[in-house]
Amino acid sequence: MSGPEAPFDARLDLGRGLVLANPISVASGTFGFGFEAEALAGIGHLGAIFSKGTTALARGGNRPPRIAETAAGMLNSIGLQNPGVEVVARDYAPRWATWSVPVLVNVAGADISEYVAVVRRLDGVSGVAGVELNISCPNIAHGLDFATEPGAAARCVAAVRAATELPLVVKLSPNVTDIAEVARAVEDAGADAVSAVNTYVGMKVALLSRRPVLPGHGSGGLSGPAIKPLALAAVVKVRRAVVIPVIGIGGIASATDALEFLVAGADAVQVGTANFNNPQASREIVEGCLAYAQQHQLRRFAELRWQDLDHPGAQEPAGEND
Amino acid sequence: MTVLTSASAQELGGESDLTRAVDEAAECTALQVLQSNLFEISFRTSEMARRAQPGEFAQIWVEQSHIPLLRRPFSFSRADSRSGVVSFYLGAVGPGSRRLRGFRPGDEARILGPLGRGFTLPDRPGRSALVSGGLGAAPFPLLAERLRERGEELVWINGARTREELYPEELIPVGVTEVAQFTEDGSQGQMGRITAGLLPLLRGVDRVYACGPNPMLATVFRLIADSAPDSGVAPPLEVSIEAPMGCGFGTCLGCAIPLRPPQGVLDPVIGLCCRQGPVVRGSLLHWERLLQQPAHLE
Repeated sequence: MSGPEAPFDARLDLGRGLVLANPISVASGTFGFGFEAEALAGIGHLGAIFSKGTTALARGGNRPPRIAETAAGMLNSIGLQNPGVEVVARDYAPRWATWSVPVLVNVAGADISEYVAVVRRLDGVSGVAGVELNISCPNIAHGLDFATEPGAAARCVAAVRAATELPLVVKLSPNVTDIAEVARAVEDAGADAVSAVNTYVGMKVALLSRRPVLPGHGSGGLSGPAIKPLALAAVVKVRRAVVIPVIGIGGIASATDALEFLVAGADAVQVGTANFNNPQASREIVEGCLAYAQQHQLRRFAELRWQDLDHPGAQEPAGEND
Repeated sequence: MTVLTSASAQELGGESDLTRAVDEAAECTALQVLQSNLFEISFRTSEMARRAQPGEFAQIWVEQSHIPLLRRPFSFSRADSRSGVVSFYLGAVGPGSRRLRGFRPGDEARILGPLGRGFTLPDRPGRSALVSGGLGAAPFPLLAERLRERGEELVWINGARTREELYPEELIPVGVTEVAQFTEDGSQGQMGRITAGLLPLLRGVDRVYACGPNPMLATVFRLIADSAPDSGVAPPLEVSIEAPMGCGFGTCLGCAIPLRPPQGVLDPVIGLCCRQGPVVRGSLLHWERLLQQPAHLE
């Protein structure tokens, strides 16, 4: 096998000693706690696993229907069904400790004290490689509050930062006026990286019954290929706002999709909804990205980045009029 | 609501074994158009046909261009380990099944399976009743075949709203001892719902397998449970239920199903149709709650 003169290095340093073997990971809520995929398709290829959102106590989740299909996308309103942090720390983490793939626990809460309590329980637990703060779950009351107001987001992140030395990723909501402002706030508050974006608030309506398909307030989180262009634009904004690593998320279903996020300024990506369709999706994406790197004689994925990202000048996209 | 952990799942009869599933690019070998919008579609697989058990299902990736986005779950109707062919009985009712209706031999689809938990086969031969409503007949050709191999006597109680929606009698496997047919409009067999004529047909039956719309299954469960005081012990009932399914292997948490809680607990335990089902013992379900939720993905 002939390669470039300087060997290709796929690794990504997320800070605090957490180095991913490659920048392809799987998004919270699309991979459970890793065990289903381990049985079904293997996990050894992944850069990291972001677990299902975990709260202080077990949550049963929302009443069905919890999912609905839309054009090239899906809506979900799962409601953070999870067994609670005690089961995660006591039963799941020891199994993760035997894996070579780092697992970051996605943490959710109703208020700052719950985030802090969950993170404290995970701190120092073998098998927990880091945490991802879900300050933006659209399906629980208050979940969006932390994400939409930069000051509240910063207070939450600072409180968690004070409670743990674990690598701390903060997952940003796209349902905000200015995602860049929130990104800067959580970076200043001590985040090691940000992931963007969580699902877009959306709704499917059934004409037959003259009501939304999903119960309750009727809206859910939109994910899948439908949101990819929106997510790419959001990632560019976040990239311009912060210097910490940016993990791009939104409709990634192929290696090409993943590489496009790297062009848009992401340092890593999370594969989400594609995991539901195709348990092999993340493996195919890792293999495709590595093949691309070899074919184009890259030394680092960072070489893919849009060179004018920080100085787009006349190339500023239409609609960005200020 | 209570969350089902792996430990409590074991108490409820276990969960599907994901290590048995394979994801195969499978070629369509046949599409048999039946009456109305009903059809049977067959695919050649290399491994899946050997592994598929009655009541288990496969997730078919109909269209890789993202519309429809998700795979569609279908129970195996047949699985021939010699030829490697698996078949699915379905109606063209949604975007996925309508796309499959347009398949021709030679077309390819990616199929993931077997998934879910299937029907329990008896240790000793006896007499089984298969109760199907409409498309609920789908898993029964394979179940009938496997039960016959074990020397089981079979009565198939086959119902639908109309003759057009009834599982075709000529497809019912040879060896089914007795067939009783019901249509709500009387266009074939006895007029009325199967639940109206069910109990006399269950005399001498050792076990009942049922598949159809959730309300039908609830009625079958109630009828059998209520008949127990007269006949002594009610035959065990397994039902294949429906829930809006996303992934089929337990990660999207879309197909939540309500299970009966332990004594002293009011709220149902939340299981997943794809891991604890689709075949569940009737006595394990929280039927009232199940009937409040939709059966299909919208």
